Amino acid sequence: MQLIVNIFVLAAIYALISCGYVLIYRVSRVLNLAHGELMMLGAYLLMTTASLFSGNLLSAFAAALLLSLMVGVLVYVFLMRKLTGEMVLAAVLTTIALGILLRGLMVLIWSAQQQYPAQALRLSNPGIELFGGARISTFAAILVVTTAAIYAALFLFLRFGRWGMRMRAAGQNPLLAAQRGINLHAVYALAWSLSTLTGAIAGMLIALDSGLSSTMVIIGLKAFPAALVGGLDSLVGALAGSLIVAGAEVLLIHYVDPLLSDVVPFLVLIAMLVVRPWGLFGTREELDRV
Amino acid sequence: MSKRMPRASGYFRTDYRQDFALVQTTLQRLSLAVLILLLIGYPFFASPFHLDLACQVFLAAVGSLSLMLLTGYAGQISLGHAGLLAAGAFTVGILFKEVAAPFWVTLPAAALVGGILGVVFGLPSLRLRGLYLAVSTLALHFVVVYLGAEYETKRGFSTGILVDPPQIGGHSLTDGRAWYFVLLFAAGATLLLCLNLLRSRTGRAWGAIRSHERVAEALGISIAGYKLLAFVISSAITAVAGALFAYYRGFVSVEAFSLFLSISYVAMIIVGGMGSLLGALLGAVFVTLFPYVIEAALLALPGSRRYAGEVFAVNYASFGLIMILFLIFEPLGLVGIWNRVQNYFLLWPFKHRPLAGSGK
Amino acid sequence: MTAPLLQLNNIEVVYQRAITAVQGVTLKVDPQQIVALLGTNGAGKTTTLRAISGFLGLDDARVTEGTIAFKGQRIENRSPNENTSRGIILVPERDKVFPNLTVAENLLAPVSHGIRPAERKRREALVYQFFPRLGDLRSRVGGLLSGGERQMLALGSAIVCMPQLLLIDELSLGLAPVMVEGLIRRLLDIRRELGLTILIVEQSAPTALGIADYGYVMENGRVVLDGTAERLRDHKDVQEFYLGQAGEGRRSYREVKQYRRSRRWYG
Repeated sequence: MQLIVNIFVLAAIYALISCGYVLIYRVSRVLNLAHGELMMLGAYLLMTTASLFSGNLLSAFAAALLLSLMVGVLVYVFLMRKLTGEMVLAAVLTTIALGILLRGLMVLIWSAQQQYPAQALRLSNPGIELFGGARISTFAAILVVTTAAIYAALFLFLRFGRWGMRMRAAGQNPLLAAQRGINLHAVYALAWSLSTLTGAIAGMLIALDSGLSSTMVIIGLKAFPAALVGGLDSLVGALAGSLIVAGAEVLLIHYVDPLLSDVVPFLVLIAMLVVRPWGLFGTREELDRV
Repeated sequence: MSKRMPRASGYFRTDYRQDFALVQTTLQRLSLAVLILLLIGYPFFASPFHLDLACQVFLAAVGSLSLMLLTGYAGQISLGHAGLLAAGAFTVGILFKEVAAPFWVTLPAAALVGGILGVVFGLPSLRLRGLYLAVSTLALHFVVVYLGAEYETKRGFSTGILVDPPQIGGHSLTDGRAWYFVLLFAAGATLLLCLNLLRSRTGRAWGAIRSHERVAEALGISIAGYKLLAFVISSAITAVAGALFAYYRGFVSVEAFSLFLSISYVAMIIVGGMGSLLGALLGAVFVTLFPYVIEAALLALPGSRRYAGEVFAVNYASFGLIMILFLIFEPLGLVGIWNRVQNYFLLWPFKHRPLAGSGK
Repeated sequence: MTAPLLQLNNIEVVYQRAITAVQGVTLKVDPQQIVALLGTNGAGKTTTLRAISGFLGLDDARVTEGTIAFKGQRIENRSPNENTSRGIILVPERDKVFPNLTVAENLLAPVSHGIRPAERKRREALVYQFFPRLGDLRSRVGGLLSGGERQMLALGSAIVCMPQLLLIDELSLGLAPVMVEGLIRRLLDIRRELGLTILIVEQSAPTALGIADYGYVMENGRVVLDGTAERLRDHKDVQEFYLGQAGEGRRSYREVKQYRRSRRWYG
């Protein structure tokens, strides 16, 4: 029973991180490999706003979220915008380089030590008893609920919102979108800011639950196989992929070998690339087939 | 990729052998001779620290040349280079610890392991391109590193495997100068191998595949065969580089083969300039020496003792920054800059070369 | 004599600073006129359309000489967003719909600045009125439409923007003649009701001359002939080379000298 709870929590973590990958990929075909570092940045921003607004929980969170949103816009405007029209691979390499740059900067600004935002905000993280003797920590539970809420909001936004439709249009046919008056730069900036926002939320909740350290980047990296397995441009796929990867990881760690934890997502990824490269729910693109 | 015009005017090639030769004009021969003299003389007036730097550059060059073959010439993206280096290093480590194998067994074994892994890394390339291929190589890198970590923990070497230096007729290879020449030879041999590969049918096939796969296939070039060949050759060379790395450092451990190392090699070929062996060499020099330059610059700043602990982070950040700058502003790399400067002086007072194919 | 809506003056378009695709082209489009641009492949028609709509930058091309004036203002080498907000809307040759959006969403997606939801609804209803077939397909996804339906949707999504100047690239490509005839008649209705100005690029001269008021014939990047639709239809060379009506006895290219021909046609 505890295993099932663990699977759900891990799946929620991966899902919340994955929707960031999906948002950017769907709109601009770029895989943002700096997402893990951006997650971590969100958590660090929370630490800073926590000390700025000491005591006022709401302001600290709101400020941190707002800052993360702005970081996303800035990353697009000052960096990724220069690469529109270039090869996708160049953009992906740029995100990798951005991740490295951010990592260095974060250590310089906040030091490499493990931090505990929960302590800084004077919040506690008690375990909650669930049926079947399973336990879940408060923040993990909050994370699961938040993930569900964010996914619901994103579904509604993309399906019914005006800018959501523009994002979908720009992702399917950027040239036509531009020819019909859709401002591509605005759409891309929106995608980046939403992605960074969801990533920051993920980072903050993970940090509140289990501390802020460089392992968060590894978690971020492990989540992109979940997105890919489900289909890089599908939110539904991200949910499915997260469940599959989380399930495989928890079960294999429990029954086979704990060392497997960091490699399982990539094994699942390889399996999916062999069988169905565009993922379970992804649009079948012009992937070269021999 | 067209051949550059020999710089001397009045130079005419009159038979195929001349056209094919690597070194052609007198100026080229002279420059090569001077370069060789400098390289041979270097260890005799360099400090041990600088000798070590040169050795690191040569080691990096072997790896960057092989990656350039794969990505720059055959057009197959690989983000898993560190995994192949790890494979070579671990082959040496495992064979040394388990059966005390000497270097003339471990090095070929590393090449063999590299070649086999090359097939594994290369299989996705038969179905995927671009981003998805890069992602598959990334995944395989993690798998290889995991296997290495598994060996380390299961055999109790959790801090790493110590490896004795290679023995030749009773003499251990420990002298810095001796290593310099060994690694110089390794880098030179790799360069020669690459140059010859690229002049051959294989090199031309790779170029065709990189330009336009469908057309290459229609012309009868076996896409699958040549792609796999690119992976196998590149991986074998990389594994040998990893093996040499193991012997040089005397130490093998998974931590050394991180994602960052893979990215460093990718940075080498980007910063150096894709599609050119000279680019691979320049990139290897640049990326290897870069952290030392940054460290020296940092220490030259006032109040340097405060920053001493931050050197690693500063390295990281500036590496990311440099990579971004090159990707955005100078995608053709150092070779691109070099070509532009050369062209400016060669063509002055004209500004542009005639279009390719419009007659020499 | 009303001022022309669009005026190209002696423009030259160069790709990648090396290849001249269009040279010395002068043409104009008057308000509420339908003007056709004829020519075979490689004549420079699509390049001209791209120059007008502002999408040359994608292929690293520029207007290097001459001017393009829209309502008196210079628009050459401007950003694409500027031109679309002026009301210059292009129906492209390929990839003309959003494949994973429904027909209704395809009509909702285009952005027209500052119009209220009521106006948006009105325009959408107008499209369904012109193309009743689309009304039956409201929830069909764009990628699943047939060729003719797709072209209707493409025209519809352009109309929703209420363009000041509608540019159509290869309307008839890949469509059965019966379908094309229907579309042409519909276009004439639309022009009549909405007062649209249209510049249409066509390989199929019969199609274009069936709808246009005025036409330009391009070859090798230059305009070689222009005139009203009747004059073009009666022109012997146009008849022979573009309308497929051979005169008595077969004439070779060499014998025809009625309009200046580039050297490419010889040998």
